[in-house]
Amino acid sequence: MERILQRDPGALEALYDRYGRPVYSLVLRIAQHPSSAEEIVQDVFLQLWRSAERFKIDRGPLEPWLFTMARNRALDFLRLKREKQRRREDSDSDILPSAVMRPDPEGEIDRSRRAEKIRALMTSLPDAQRKAIELAFFEGLSHSEIAAATGEALGTVKSWIRGGLLRLRESFGEASS
Amino acid sequence: MTCEQLAQLYDEYALGVLEGEERAELEQHLARACPKCIPGVAEARGVVSHLALAAPSVEPPPELRAKIMDAINASGEAARATTVIKQKTFTSQRSTFPAWAWLVAAALALVTGYTIRQMSRQTDQLAELRKEMKIATTQTQALQNQLEMDRMVSSVMLSPDSAQLKLEPTDKNMPVVHAYLHPHMGVAITADQMPSMPAARTLQLWFVPKSGKPVSAAIFHPDASGQIALVAPVTIPLNEIAALAVTDEPAGGSPQPTTAIAWIAKVNN
Repeated sequence: MERILQRDPGALEALYDRYGRPVYSLVLRIAQHPSSAEEIVQDVFLQLWRSAERFKIDRGPLEPWLFTMARNRALDFLRLKREKQRRREDSDSDILPSAVMRPDPEGEIDRSRRAEKIRALMTSLPDAQRKAIELAFFEGLSHSEIAAATGEALGTVKSWIRGGLLRLRESFGEASS
Repeated sequence: MTCEQLAQLYDEYALGVLEGEERAELEQHLARACPKCIPGVAEARGVVSHLALAAPSVEPPPELRAKIMDAINASGEAARATTVIKQKTFTSQRSTFPAWAWLVAAALALVTGYTIRQMSRQTDQLAELRKEMKIATTQTQALQNQLEMDRMVSSVMLSPDSAQLKLEPTDKNMPVVHAYLHPHMGVAITADQMPSMPAARTLQLWFVPKSGKPVSAAIFHPDASGQIALVAPVTIPLNEIAALAVTDEPAGGSPQPTTAIAWIAKVNN
């Protein structure tokens, strides 16, 4: 971040090399639209470049900040898209090609390990509970929206989400604080 | 709810599932710069952000890196900040006393004086009820407006895109005013323990550009408890703002500052 503050483009390249893949993966998972995901990721890194001073002063670790910003922007895109779809059916043919799915590269051992951990945690959850958390995180739905989408009682959805978040906190809470 | 009770909701709030009264109550704490809830929610965001790693890992297109670097090299362009503050207005509805009721009253008045007195009493009661209802409606609307404003303030405060600024008072007896500058949502202003102000005066927030005259951003009063919580749109390009300043102006505000700066913060672009 110090080098970014000194306006060294090489530093941003290094950050992109480190975080470009997880940020793109997250945005693509939410937006489900490769060309839009590219635009959102570009916007996120440009914002990082422009806001480096603010980040240095105000924030904690970079990764949660970057992921939160990327998630918010992708969810904004998703909500806008849903709103448009509500008005008229669009024929969106830009579908995620399965060919772009690849395994993690070597080198990002810590993040790969955490990714394995979170995936293992998600896999260990009952299907309905995992689905509820995915609807919340990747689709930005609220408790009652998830209840409506899944046909489950609101109380059930709340307890699933709370239980899932508790598991997440047990796995990652200490590392984050 | 206390901060300890609200702490149970931090994770759900960070995930974005919280709604209704619980969400509103937590956002009210955040809008008032609660020293326990703000770091608590920030920490919860860190925990929840791990879910990002549950997304299937996908290699970004190779050209994306070059696109970003091209944009960086060409950067220096003005940030666009267009925020629309939704200003809620409300109108009171006035219903009229039904004509048939008057006719009935008149007819009954012809029958007995007793009935007239009864009708008169009922009319008074109805008018009193209407008055109470109108007051309750106004209070409810005011609370809703405040809630909406608190929600907007907390959204700006908690956004990772917001820059936090401290507006230092020129009078050291005055409290610090906090500002959160967001490129799209606007600038949120919060403060506690502000002194009360006479109705003939107002505080006015200014964007001080790198060149040119200050631009008015908002006028505001501390509330009865000395708190300030508001969001104003950013009306000039973000990278042209050199400072945020607050002055004491006549009620209704001024086109340009007429008194010395009372609070100021430099903006690093």
